[in-house]
Amino acid sequence: MAVGEIWQGLVEACKLIARLDPYVVKVTLFTLYVCALATMAGMVLGIPMGSLLALHRFPGRKFLVTLVNAGMGLPPVVVGLFVYLLLKRRGPLGFLGWLYTPKAILLAQVVLALPLIAAITMAALQDVDPRMVLQIRSLGAGRVRTALTLLRERRLSLLAAVIAGFGGVISEVGAAMMVGGNLMLRGEPYTRTLTTALVLEVNRGESVRAIALGLILLGITLLLVWGLTLAQQGSVVGRALRASLSRLGSWKEGR
Amino acid sequence: MRTAFLVEELEHRYDGRTVLRVERLEVREGEVLAVVGPNGAGKSTLLRLMALLEEPTRGEVVFWDGSRLSAMTRRDKRRLSREMAMVFQEPFLLNRDVWQNLEYGLKLRGVPRPERARKVEAMLRTLGLEPLARRHVSSLSGGEARKVSLGRAMVLEPRVLFLDEPLTNLDLPSRRELLGLISDMVRERGITAVYVSHDHHEVLEIADRLAVMLGGELVQEGKPDEVFRRPASEEVAAFLGAENLLEGRVVRRTEEGAAILVGEAVIHAVTDIPEGEMVKVMIHPEEVVLLPPESSSGSARNRLPARVLEVRETGPVARVRLDCGFPLAALVTSTSRKDMGLEPGVSLRVAFKATSVHVMPYSSRSRGE
Repeated sequence: MAVGEIWQGLVEACKLIARLDPYVVKVTLFTLYVCALATMAGMVLGIPMGSLLALHRFPGRKFLVTLVNAGMGLPPVVVGLFVYLLLKRRGPLGFLGWLYTPKAILLAQVVLALPLIAAITMAALQDVDPRMVLQIRSLGAGRVRTALTLLRERRLSLLAAVIAGFGGVISEVGAAMMVGGNLMLRGEPYTRTLTTALVLEVNRGESVRAIALGLILLGITLLLVWGLTLAQQGSVVGRALRASLSRLGSWKEGR
Repeated sequence: MRTAFLVEELEHRYDGRTVLRVERLEVREGEVLAVVGPNGAGKSTLLRLMALLEEPTRGEVVFWDGSRLSAMTRRDKRRLSREMAMVFQEPFLLNRDVWQNLEYGLKLRGVPRPERARKVEAMLRTLGLEPLARRHVSSLSGGEARKVSLGRAMVLEPRVLFLDEPLTNLDLPSRRELLGLISDMVRERGITAVYVSHDHHEVLEIADRLAVMLGGELVQEGKPDEVFRRPASEEVAAFLGAENLLEGRVVRRTEEGAAILVGEAVIHAVTDIPEGEMVKVMIHPEEVVLLPPESSSGSARNRLPARVLEVRETGPVARVRLDCGFPLAALVTSTSRKDMGLEPGVSLRVAFKATSVHVMPYSSRSRGE
């Protein structure tokens, strides 16, 4: 019986997706937008941070390394709570008025993605033979150039870092729920993401919609993993991906 | 010749342990200085400090333009390091193709594209790597990768080239080829080179001077043949693979030096070491002459009756182990070995000059440490 119900739910969910149900599409687009933005912010901060921790010795480094590594396992709910306390009306950042807005979700997701990206970047660069670093420096590269060259050398690990960051934020529900509030505004998702919407549908007993949202979430994740695998395994698509990544690298490095 | 580097009282520590202490070392412009020593002797550390890749714990390095390490801004360092290049044992190529690897340093220096292309092409020609220009480095052989690594440094036209074990772990033909390339390029371009190796045979062809490092200290420097003929200590002699390293005691001073009791025989040597002192002596095997037992020809100061213990053929040369009151090794050509009928048990006479005996002070190591 129950199996039949699930099957039926799956079929209906597929129809919903194929029909491009406006609600489902809007929630999906909003989610992709917020998560992409959060991941980008995480990269902008996390890659330099990881590089700095991997390539330089300075006082307090060990503490920061521990912090970043611990940050990889941050429970989203705790991050949500932390950001909530920061943003609530009487909180230190309450004056911003960000609570229950997309900005709050963004902030929480950056806090989640940042340590993931920083830690994987750090690990990737620490893996490099220290003499390789000396070799690059001996060819005339300064600190920043050295880091950029090494990042380009380890671009696949970097891709993994980015995907881990994105995967982390798109799948979490606790923080988005707590600081976003899962709101709709004039029929548009205001702070409603795939995960918070899914939770709501389950609570409402709308299994078909819940399954549809779950399938989309799963699909996005699979797509990401597939892309990473291709890039690492050297298929045609993977080579194209790698080529574009290295163009990105030479753009950063050349003058 | 002008001075390229002057190292003074240089000291470096890792984790509270002194890994390098060099009182003074001068590298002259245009010369090839080989720094040899066993693994862990501090050679690579010295190289990195000179190449400005690491900061010494204390000490001074004066560079060719007179600038001093101790009073150097970051900008000075950058300017100087752009005139130096380094080749490591591992090629450490970038994950790109050969051309891009050769181009890398030039790009960093802001060399315009046409000039870059010209220089890279010329370097590819010199190295004989033109067909591989667009090959990804992951498909190169070990020898090819080392050549690319050398080319990547040389294309920068450095004033100083540092080589850290550039031939280690290569097969013999590749070693020969790479050493030839290094030697030709360095000589043609008048580059000052500091060549670190744990294998002193490797550097003999190329080195103008030899510096021997042991336990973090520079223990001897000089012309290669000088260092080989007259190692400063027993340790240096042992590292250089000296044969006929024997223990003795000065029994009396003579006109030209001293008579030294070695085993059961007395030999004559040129030395200032006073009577009664324990010494280490070294007799170069290639300077030991083997004569028929009744022979009295020659002017060598030392002539001792000897008995052949063992003869080992090593290609065109035979190594003869003898007993002449102490164990002695000598080298003869395979032809004269046959002519003389050298076989174990045969009696003969060995002769060597007093100047062929190198006398060293008896060191702490010999005292049973």
